[in-house]
Amino acid sequence: MTENNYIYAPSEHPADKFRCKVPMKGTRQLFVIDGGVQGTAAPLSIKFDEGNCSDEILQVIGVRTSSGPKELSSESSFSFGQNSQGRLILCSHTFAEDPFITKEKIKISLAPNSSVDIVLMQNEHNDAEHISEFEIDIQRDASLRMVFLTLHGGKISNNIKVNLNGENASCDLNGLYIVDGKQQVRNLVSMNHKDPHCYSSQLFKGILDDASVASFSGLIHVWPDAQKTQAYQENHNLLLTKEAKVYSEPQLEIYADDVKCSHGATNGRLDENELFYLRSRGIPKKEAQLLQQQAFAYAVLDKISSEELKERMVSLTEQRLRGEFSKCKNCCKNCC
Amino acid sequence: MLNIKDLHASIGEKEILKGINLQVKPGEIHAIMGPNGSGKSTLSSVLAGRDTYTVTSGEIEFEGKNILELSPEERSIAGIFLGFQYPIEIPGVTNVNFMRTAVNEHRKAKGLEPLNAAAFLKIMREKMEVVEMNPSFSSRGVNVGFSGGEKKRNEIFQMAMLEPKLAILDETDSGLDVDALRIVATGVNKLKRPDNATIVITHYQRLLDYIVPDIVHILYNGQIIKTAGKELALEVEKRGYDWLING
Ligand SMILES: Nc1ncnc2c1ncn2[C@@H]1O[C@H](COP(=O)(O)OP(=O)(O)O)[C@@H](O)[C@H]1O
Ligand SMILES: [Mg+2]
Repeated sequence: MTENNYIYAPSEHPADKFRCKVPMKGTRQLFVIDGGVQGTAAPLSIKFDEGNCSDEILQVIGVRTSSGPKELSSESSFSFGQNSQGRLILCSHTFAEDPFITKEKIKISLAPNSSVDIVLMQNEHNDAEHISEFEIDIQRDASLRMVFLTLHGGKISNNIKVNLNGENASCDLNGLYIVDGKQQVRNLVSMNHKDPHCYSSQLFKGILDDASVASFSGLIHVWPDAQKTQAYQENHNLLLTKEAKVYSEPQLEIYADDVKCSHGATNGRLDENELFYLRSRGIPKKEAQLLQQQAFAYAVLDKISSEELKERMVSLTEQRLRGEFSKCKNCCKNCC
Repeated sequence: MLNIKDLHASIGEKEILKGINLQVKPGEIHAIMGPNGSGKSTLSSVLAGRDTYTVTSGEIEFEGKNILELSPEERSIAGIFLGFQYPIEIPGVTNVNFMRTAVNEHRKAKGLEPLNAAAFLKIMREKMEVVEMNPSFSSRGVNVGFSGGEKKRNEIFQMAMLEPKLAILDETDSGLDVDALRIVATGVNKLKRPDNATIVITHYQRLLDYIVPDIVHILYNGQIIKTAGKELALEVEKRGYDWLING
């Protein structure tokens, strides 16, 4: 990361005295405030040089403040050079209770043989609407793993378009969304297999409480030349109330004949037999239900490759499920 | 310790338990035998507080208190343990997390501090030895991918962790080979104390060679139709149930 078109902000946001303690040793932080890199107000553009394999994790903390406009559009880009390895944590927060609308375009491109790991944490307040469009381009022998954690927010929409452009490109997309009250979350995935021997997998899981709404729409598009494609997709939802609604829509468009593709979707409730078993050992109903929800979420959290970050996210998820949220214990500032 | 008086229970409109009377004293081992569909599992579920069954009349007293209004977790804390005929698989919840949560709930009820990780693991290892369970099982999902025998051993391990006053073991022997049967029975015997009691539900005499009952009951069509000493189990083994049902 030697490009100088961005700066590292101090790890404390001076205006709001916000200090994110989510990341671990070896993480550098960069604030993007109301769409611009702190200190420059310029759009974010990060480039990992060819062959760059540092262990460092870059955390980009995007925040909305009351000094920004109510409605905001911004763009950012991340590009990973040939043979590079990169790790990112992308967080989005709101620092005020204003009814924000944020529209974001995020370009991610992986040059041949690069390997990238991205964890996204979306934690905003109930009046915030956030629409993110991801344009992801993965070239030959490059691999991307992404974990979307949508922990809180009024109306969150992730539109994720992935192009697998080159043999042996691979993309592992995972998402966990937890919604309650009147929150809405939408994940729209379009996975385009353009070349042979590429791999993709999508695992999206949601826990819906109260009158929340979630939708998942996942397209797997296999182009005629993309033989030996492997493409998998799963969407599972846990509905805690009768009022919660989920829309799950898988779409397969396959124009090659030698491929392995599968998709599956389930919408279920907490299993009564499991619940009785847990309670019969002395675990109170609420705790038992929490264990069941954590167990449901774990498959996604387990995709976070940094053990330390995984632990943090497991504990944030637990707090969220306990309803203690809207405030993450690791921050001195209310996140949403 | 346990006093069941004229217990009737049904599921939906269907009455399954039709007037059960049973008394268990500390230190005793009772066996309940009976053909399939008699209501043995229903009785054990009702004792553990499963709310899919409705108790329509009768009483269950445990240590002098009516427990019918208690939730399953409260009954567990009170000292009742049910070894499931079909233990439930819970993917994503590890055995260790499951038992730590359960043990700490029991401790909380007794006014004790939660066990720290090291102390807990030590106890867990000791108790796993009681049923010759490999320590690697602790980090696996509860019963996930366990063989029939491993699931039953896991039940007895949980019983060892929770040290109940009354254990109800529902067909803990079914599906076990001779080795597993010996391990499970040895586990149960090791956990036996003069102040706790066990109800063993089975329809084979086989298990009762290892766990010797003081009293044997025959349950048929929702009622206990005969109660006698351990020789009754042998007689059932030889003659089946027909002479009891028709006689
Ligand atoms: N959930 C249920 N729904 C309907 N009938 C049930 C249910 N559980 C048990 N029964 C019925 O109750 C009777 C007793 O079953 P059970 O208690 O399992 O017997 P046992 O354990 O002695 O084999 C059987 O006729 C069985 O079909
Ligand atoms: Mg049964």
